[in-house]
Amino acid sequence: MRELRSELTRLNRRGIWLGWLGLMAVFAVLINTVIYTIAANGSAPPGGGPGVAFPTMATLESSSGIVAGVSSAASMFGVITLSFWAIATASDYSTGLIRLLAAAQPHRWRLLLGKIGALLIWTALATTAAEVVNLAAALPSAEAAGISTALWMDDLVGEIARAWLTSFSASVVWGIIGLVLALLSRSSAIAISVGVGWVLLIETIIKTASSEAGQWLPGTTLTALAQGGTDDLSFAGAVLIGCIYAAVGLIIGLVIFIRRPITE
Amino acid sequence: MLTSIIETDTSAASITTDGLLRQFGSLTALDRVTVTLPRGGVVGLLGPNGSGKSTLIRILLGLIPPTSGQATVLGHPTTKPARYAGDVGALIEAPSFVPGLSARKNLLSLARLRGLPTTRVAEVIRIVGLEGRENESVRRFSLGMKQRLGIAAALLPDPALLILDEPTNGLDPAGIVEIRQLLKTLAAEGRTVVVSSHLLAEIQAACDYLVIIRFGELMFSGPMGELLDKAGARIEVAPEHPADVDRLRVALAAAGWSLEDDSLVVHGSPADAAALNRAAHEAGITLSRLTPINESLEDVFLEMTAAPTRDPVAASQGARKKASTNA
Repeated sequence: MRELRSELTRLNRRGIWLGWLGLMAVFAVLINTVIYTIAANGSAPPGGGPGVAFPTMATLESSSGIVAGVSSAASMFGVITLSFWAIATASDYSTGLIRLLAAAQPHRWRLLLGKIGALLIWTALATTAAEVVNLAAALPSAEAAGISTALWMDDLVGEIARAWLTSFSASVVWGIIGLVLALLSRSSAIAISVGVGWVLLIETIIKTASSEAGQWLPGTTLTALAQGGTDDLSFAGAVLIGCIYAAVGLIIGLVIFIRRPITE
Repeated sequence: MLTSIIETDTSAASITTDGLLRQFGSLTALDRVTVTLPRGGVVGLLGPNGSGKSTLIRILLGLIPPTSGQATVLGHPTTKPARYAGDVGALIEAPSFVPGLSARKNLLSLARLRGLPTTRVAEVIRIVGLEGRENESVRRFSLGMKQRLGIAAALLPDPALLILDEPTNGLDPAGIVEIRQLLKTLAAEGRTVVVSSHLLAEIQAACDYLVIIRFGELMFSGPMGELLDKAGARIEVAPEHPADVDRLRVALAAAGWSLEDDSLVVHGSPADAAALNRAAHEAGITLSRLTPINESLEDVFLEMTAAPTRDPVAASQGARKKASTNA
């Protein structure tokens, strides 16, 4: 608990509020603008780019249409989350703060769990911010595009809760990946570059080379998790693979953090 | 393996090391260092850059394990740092804080990590003289202010052992005097304060006990006065008549005194002055000068760390001999 409170104190700064929650909000506005503009143009939804999966017109007009923006940009939200988990972890090394922390609390597993706990709380806040902004942006965007929102109120609370939970879960796994990359590299720049490079480049190449292998990769899995399942991967499958990624990441992170000498 | 010159009762020790070896690949950062530091007082940790001081501090704080050997801090092995972490405060190398947070919030996060009351934050801010600046972002702090904040962080747990790496780095002269007084006050309250510094005059002014490391090897460990007495005990003599210089050298050498090359500097303490005078008088020479040479810690340190041997007295003499030969 001490470790959690300590980490929350360090994270409670303007750069994190503006950077993390701000970026999530900006992306929520952008994705809503984009998906409804495409729908308004009457063109078929594109296949989606790296990190984005565009919804169909049927999806937008269904009861889940109101939260379509959240699930469509799940990978982008994931990359933002990965970045801030990486920054929060690697900056302890780059500032040298890790020496003070580890000297004050030699049980390093407690330090790491405190950090993860604090980052989970922040991820929940960021997911909430994204969803709130999405809700605010979706209705005017849909009306401007002439898309029917008649079914949006059918299961409003359920859809919002489902979207929040799946988006949060996917973001947490992205965050854990960022944490592990930061622990390995001790550099937020390297961790973020690797994370973003993976989503934008490497995973796309692998998927192009082998569509079957691509179904198991983090980007595809976590997009499926955020969207409640896709044609390629069921929701249950995405949850299972996501849990495996999270568990393996946590184990690697703990082992590295506990065993590696703090020399820098 | 060199053991501490001064034998100390280990039950009253703040820190002990026994054959402490730390290697980074082929580099030996600490070479079987065995030392016992007393409880209470200010201990100076001296050594040139790369001598192994920071490595020693990190092992003592449990940040890195030794390759071999053992160490204890406040009676607990460094393999169990959780047992003493609550009694140890440290400033390790440069002060390290979250730049975007205020000084108070940085300290608050560390106080919360240690389970300390938030009132302690205000106390340490007052102790290091940062009152009125505590709500400013650390990003805007000068090096000296960061240094004070680092010391404040080390003081948070009200530690029995305080380990400070270059605590006066970046401070102005008034700040240095202030911190020196603070260290002495803390030691007077019964704490042990270990100070690593390259400011030798500062160490000489503040420390009671000294540890010197070079290339990972222990060069000296003992009371400050003992090092200065042993390594710096020399007397300069001069005959009344300059023509007697050679005769005086021969007479003193015949009487068993050790002289530095081509000079009339004799290795001996002030207590030897009478015997020297007597030896000169027996040779029929009247001395016009008989002056003890008081070396500073800087002189001794530079001589010792430049010399190839670990014996402080021999090192000091060897370096002096080398210097006079070069001259």
